[in-house]
Amino acid sequence: MIFREVEDRDLIAKARRGDVEGYNLLVSRWEKRVFNYLLRLVANREDALDLCQDVFLKAYQNLPKLDDPARFSGWLFRIAHNEAFSLLRRKRPEIRDGEMDVESQAAAAESGGRLFPLELSLAVDSALKRLSDDQREAVLLKVYQGFKFDEMAEILDCPLSTVKSRLYTALDVLRSALAPVALRGRPGR
Amino acid sequence: MSCESYDWKAYALGEMARPERREAEAHAAICQDCREEISTVRMTLNALSTLRDEEIPRRIAFVSDKVFEPRWWQRIFNPNFAAACVIAGAILVHAFAHPAESPARVQAEIDAAVTRAVAEVEARHAAQTQQMLSVYDDRIEQMYKTTTGLVRQ
Repeated sequence: MIFREVEDRDLIAKARRGDVEGYNLLVSRWEKRVFNYLLRLVANREDALDLCQDVFLKAYQNLPKLDDPARFSGWLFRIAHNEAFSLLRRKRPEIRDGEMDVESQAAAAESGGRLFPLELSLAVDSALKRLSDDQREAVLLKVYQGFKFDEMAEILDCPLSTVKSRLYTALDVLRSALAPVALRGRPGR
Repeated sequence: MSCESYDWKAYALGEMARPERREAEAHAAICQDCREEISTVRMTLNALSTLRDEEIPRRIAFVSDKVFEPRWWQRIFNPNFAAACVIAGAILVHAFAHPAESPARVQAEIDAAVTRAVAEVEARHAAQTQQMLSVYDDRIEQMYKTTTGLVRQ
């Protein structure tokens, strides 16, 4: 008997043949990552959960269109991105893809030195919410999901230079917001 | 190269190619400002890493629904199913082209073959015996003639 790790591509092949249990196993592997990505993007648990279900349903329906199973993660997050921004547009029609939330950015930069040294994770959560949706998404995909720049460009359907610009601006804003907290959290200070 | 030419965010995010990375590290070793820049980017990334993933409140699972099940022709054109059909067809064709023979018939064919072989061996032995007898008769006759000639002399 030969034991072999069941890979995503095996489960994708099963799901394409109509094996719902195979697809459920694939969902169980990815649901936490997708849920947390959506949660930090839309900042609402119920919305994130509803979106997460929609994402996996759409992924199942569109699995035959996935050319390369090795690129499943990027493809899945592309669907999640579309679903999330569709919701954000409905809730906040004034926000468009690629548009910077200048007020939030300025507020974050100015308030950087006034943050109280509470738990660092709370400060991070708060700092992330001050970013524009595009900037926050770039941080989520790079820092929390570990995608490479070129993969992010595919997920976000934008040039690599735009990806870097959003991410670098976000890191500058986060640095301003988190530096005082991070420094206070250091031993000996 | 000047300090501005180094992308320290890409460096800290692991997006710098190895040769470029080595060159950047060599520069950072002699540049205090760049070391501080790297340290600041890393501090931000370390702070971000303190935020942990939350567990999903409800697991997502789907149940089989005929709406999403593949149609009959999709099942037929499934590569595994098609391969199984080809193998089954080949077995059927072979079975009809070469039907299995009954044991009695096989036994009769074996008996006939054995009988033929025995007859061939017996015939070969009889021919050899006949040849040997013929040679023997010739030699006796020759000896007789020789003996008769000697007596006459």
